Amino acid sequence: MIKTSELTRIFRADEVETTALNKVNIDINEGEFVAVMGPSGCGKSTLLNILGLLDTPSTGDFMFLGENVSGYSERQRAKLRKRNIGFVFQNFNLIDQLTVFENVELPLIYLGLSAKERRTRVETALEQMQISHRKKHYPNQLSGGQQQRVAVARAVVSEPKFILADEPTGNLDSAHGDEVMNLLADLNQNGTTIIMVTHSQRDAEYAQRVIMLFDGQVINEKLTPSKN
Amino acid sequence: MWINYLKIAFRNLRKYKLYTLINISGLAIGIASFILIWIYIIDELSYDRYHRQANDIFRIVNVHDFEGVGENSASSPFPVAWTLRNEYPQLVKNVVRVFNRQLPRTLIQHGDKTYNERRFFFADSTFFQIFDHQFIYGDPNKALDEINSIVITESTAKRYFGEINPMGQTFRVEGQLDFVVTGMIEDVPLNSHFTFDMMASISSLRKPYGGQLPNTWVWNPCWTYLLVEEAKEEELESLFPAFVEKYFFDAEKEHISLYLQPLTDIHLKSKLDYEIEPNSNASYLQILQAIAFFLLIIAIINYVNLSTATSAGRAREIGVKKVFGAYRHQLVYQFLFESVLLSLFALGLAIILIDVILPGFNSFSNKDIHISLLLEPWYLISVTALGVLTGLLAGLYPAIYLSVFNPILVLNNKLGQVAKSGLGRKVLVVVQFTISIVLVIVTLNIFKQVDYLNNADTGFTKENVLLLPISGTKLSRDFEAFKEELMQHPKVLSVTAMDDIIGVAHNTHEFRPEGFPEDKWQFYPALVVRYDFLETFGINLLAGRDYSEDMKTDPEKGMLISEAMVRHQGWASNEEAIGKKFRSLRGEERIIGVFENFNATSLHEAAGPFVLNIKENPNEIRFFLKYIAIKMDAAHDKETMAFLEKKWMEAEKSRPFEYNWLDQELEQLYHDEEVLGELSLNLTLVIIFIALLGLFGLAAFMTNQRSKEIGIRKVFGAGEASIMKLLSFEFARLLLVAIAFAWPLSYWLIDEWLNYFAYQTSMDWWSFLHGAIIAFVLAMLITTSRAFIAWRANPIDTLKYE
Repeated sequence: MIKTSELTRIFRADEVETTALNKVNIDINEGEFVAVMGPSGCGKSTLLNILGLLDTPSTGDFMFLGENVSGYSERQRAKLRKRNIGFVFQNFNLIDQLTVFENVELPLIYLGLSAKERRTRVETALEQMQISHRKKHYPNQLSGGQQQRVAVARAVVSEPKFILADEPTGNLDSAHGDEVMNLLADLNQNGTTIIMVTHSQRDAEYAQRVIMLFDGQVINEKLTPSKN
Repeated sequence: MWINYLKIAFRNLRKYKLYTLINISGLAIGIASFILIWIYIIDELSYDRYHRQANDIFRIVNVHDFEGVGENSASSPFPVAWTLRNEYPQLVKNVVRVFNRQLPRTLIQHGDKTYNERRFFFADSTFFQIFDHQFIYGDPNKALDEINSIVITESTAKRYFGEINPMGQTFRVEGQLDFVVTGMIEDVPLNSHFTFDMMASISSLRKPYGGQLPNTWVWNPCWTYLLVEEAKEEELESLFPAFVEKYFFDAEKEHISLYLQPLTDIHLKSKLDYEIEPNSNASYLQILQAIAFFLLIIAIINYVNLSTATSAGRAREIGVKKVFGAYRHQLVYQFLFESVLLSLFALGLAIILIDVILPGFNSFSNKDIHISLLLEPWYLISVTALGVLTGLLAGLYPAIYLSVFNPILVLNNKLGQVAKSGLGRKVLVVVQFTISIVLVIVTLNIFKQVDYLNNADTGFTKENVLLLPISGTKLSRDFEAFKEELMQHPKVLSVTAMDDIIGVAHNTHEFRPEGFPEDKWQFYPALVVRYDFLETFGINLLAGRDYSEDMKTDPEKGMLISEAMVRHQGWASNEEAIGKKFRSLRGEERIIGVFENFNATSLHEAAGPFVLNIKENPNEIRFFLKYIAIKMDAAHDKETMAFLEKKWMEAEKSRPFEYNWLDQELEQLYHDEEVLGELSLNLTLVIIFIALLGLFGLAAFMTNQRSKEIGIRKVFGAGEASIMKLLSFEFARLLLVAIAFAWPLSYWLIDEWLNYFAYQTSMDWWSFLHGAIIAFVLAMLITTSRAFIAWRANPIDTLKYE
C-alpha cells in the first residue's frame, strides 16, 4: 500500500542544510500496525508528514495506493488525504471554537457528505470512542484522555484506510494512554492500517512492526509479538 | 459548510471580544461616514435635475470684457429672452426671465401680517412650463398669466393664512400693488440653485415701469433661462455673436459675448457675478470624496491588521482543516465569508449611526436628506454592495495570508515561523499614520484659510457696521435727514448709503476715460454711494480728497477711483490721476480722489479697478440706494439698537426694523469653505479615532505576543522604562516613516487647494509639526500604556504559559 524508495527530505534554512530523511526505503502493507521510533530529531515526524501527504520528499519516490505521489501538488494531495488518511496528534489539535460533535464532523464536511449522513457517522464514531455524552462540550471542558478520544473519533469518522498517529499518548498519563492505544489496536483489528510515531516502548508493543530511525536513516526493522 | 463557517465566525468574534469591538466599530464609523459623504455628494450632484427638461434648460451668461475689466453676469437685459425666442423659434422652445428688482427684500403685507420677504421674485408666465414644481392648487400653465398674480409655496401660505386655502387671497406688495394668489406649490426643493417663496407675474411690473417693461439692452438684471430644442444648444450658441451685433448697445457690443450655461452646472460650477444664491464648488466634492475613501481604507486596514495579527489564534483551526482535507480556496472562502459578515454587521450599525447623525448633518450642511433615501432600491443595492465590497477588501489579504499557513508548522506549535515578520502589517500601519497626519495638516490649513478669508484685510472695515435695507422705503428719499438724526447718538460714528453691499456685490457702469474715442464706452465695476463712504468703511485715501458736502459740484462732477484703476488706465501715479476726466452718462466728471484697493467681491477674486460714484438727484437716490451702512462704536449696546429701531419706526412705520451686520453678510461668501472646513475637521477626528482604535488593538496584540520576552527581561531585571521603550520603539519608527511620507504629500495637497483662491494665507508650517506631534503623542500614549500593562504582569504567569 505504501512504499518509499530512496526517500530523502532536505530542509534548507538560510545557510544551513539539514537532511531530515536520507534514502529511506519502507514498505507498509494493508492492515499493518507499524510503529516508528527513534531519538528526537531522527526524522520521525518528517517521515510521518510525508506519509500523511502533508509534505513532499526532496528526492526519491513515494508510492501511495499504487500512485507515485512524490510530485503531487497541495491540491492533489489534499484530495487523496481527505479520502484515505486520518490523523491523531500528540497535542490533540482539536479546534477550540468547535464542540466535540463539530470537531468530529469536520472531515466529513470537507468530504461533502450530507448533514444527515454526517450526523449518523459522527454519532457512531463518538459511541465507538465512548465519548457521546460529551458531544456538546468544547475541547477545553474535557480531560486530556477525553480529548484524545475525540481526536481519534475525528480520525476514524471518515473511515480512512490509514491512521497516522504522532505520539498519541505523549500528553496523557499511562491509564489514559492505554485507553487510546487500545482504541487504535481495535481499529487495526478491524482492518485499518496504522502508522504511529512514538517514544514509548510500551506503546510500540501494540504494533506488529517497529521501524527504528536514526539520523534520517532506517537502522532497524523488527517484528514485535502482538500484545493482543 | 456555510453553517460551519457561521458557527466558527460567531464563536471567534466572541472569543476575541476586544478585537471584534475594534473591528466592528471602526468599520461601522468608516462606513457611516462614507455613506454620509456619499449621499451628500449625490445631493450636491442632484441640483436642479428634478426638472423633467433639466438637460435642455440653459441660463444665458453675459460676459463684458473691457481689457480685463468688466463682469461675467449671470443675468441679462430685459429684452434678451423674448428677442431670442422670436429670432430663433426653431431652436428656442421657451424662455423665462426671473427678476427680483435687484432688491434684497420685498415688503409683503396681508392683514396684520407684515414680512420682508427675501425670496420674492417676478417671472414670465412661462416659468412653471419650464421648471417643474408640484402644484397643490392652481394650474402651472396659467398661474402667472394675469398681471398681479402670484404663486406661493406651501409653507409661505401657512405663514400668512394658516390652514386656509390661499387661492384668491391677496397680498400688498411694497405697499403699492395688490397680488392675488393663483397657485400654491410644494416648497421648492433645497437642491435647487435658487429657492423662492413667492413668484409673481412679471407683467405686473409694466405699470410701475410706466406701461411697459424696461427695453434697455444695457441694464442686465434678469436671470434668463431658455428651453432649447434637444441637442441644439451649440447651434444656438453659434448664432449669439450675430445676435449681440444686431441688438446690443453699440458702444458695448464688441465687448459683449453670450453663452449658454447648462442649468445642471450652475450649482457646482458657476461662480459668476450676480448669482441668485452662492453656489457650491465641484472641487470641494473631490476633497470630500478623497476623505471618504481614506476613512474606509483606514477602517479596512484596521481589520486587516487585527485579523492577521490575531491569526495565531486561528492557526490550529487552519492547520487541522487542511490536514483533514480542506482545500485552500475553501479556507479563503471561509475567511472572506467572515469578513463580509462582520462588514454587513458594521453596515447595520452604520445605518443606525447615520440615523442619529443625520438631523445635525442636515442643519449644518443646509440639506434635507432622509434616512428613508437608503431604502430606495438603487441606494439599497449600492449600500449593500458597499458592505459586501468592504468586507471582501478587508478580508482578502487576511484570507490569503491565513490560508497559506503550513499545517506541519502550525500543528507542531511552530507558529513563530508562520506569523513572523509582519512586514505587511507595518506597511499598513505606516499608511494609516500617513493618512491621519496628512489629514490633520490639511485640515489645519483649511481652517487657517477660512479664518483668513473671514478676517482678511479686505481693504475696508467689516466690524460693527450695521446694514439697513432701504429700497422702496421713505428713507431712500429722506436719507439725509435720517442720517442726521442717527448721528445724534454718540455710539453712531458714521453713516453712509450704497447701492449694494460692499464686498458682496456691485454693478458696472459705463464710463469713457480721457483718451478713449467717442464710442468706446467702458463698463467698470462701481458702487453708487453717499457721503462719508470712505470714512464709514475705513478705506484709505491715497491721493486727492474724499467727497465733501461743501463742494457743490461733487455729485455731478466728482468721482473716486481705486488705485488699481489708476494702474489700469496706465497713469504713472495716483497724484497724476487727480483731475483726469471720465465721461459718464451724466456728462463729464473729474477724478477728485484715489482710494486704496478693496475687495469688492469675495476673496476668490483679486481686487480690480473700481469706481465710487455719488448721486445727488432725488430720483437717482431713490433708484440706486438700497442700503444704509452705519458704523457703530464697538461698545454699542441694546440701548443703541433700541435707539436705531425707534428712529426707524418714526421714519418708516410700515416696515419692520430689520438689519444685518456686514461681517455676517461677508461670511456668507465663504459658507462653502466653512462647511468644507467643518466637515473635514469632523471627518479627520473620525479618521484619527479609527486609526487609534486599530493601533490600540495592534499594540495590545503585540505586547501579548511578546509577553514571554517581557517576562524573561523582567526576571533579569528590566525596569518599566526599558520595557516601555522596547515596545514603543517599533511604533515610533513606523511613525517617523509615516511623517516622512505625510509632509511632502500634505504640502502638495494644500498648495493645490490654496491655488483656488486669489487671496491665500501662507502655508501654516506649524501645522506640519502639529500634525506630526498629535499623531506621535497619541500613538505613544496608546503603545506605552499597553506596554505598561505588559510590564505589570507577573513573569511567572507569562513564562509558565508555554
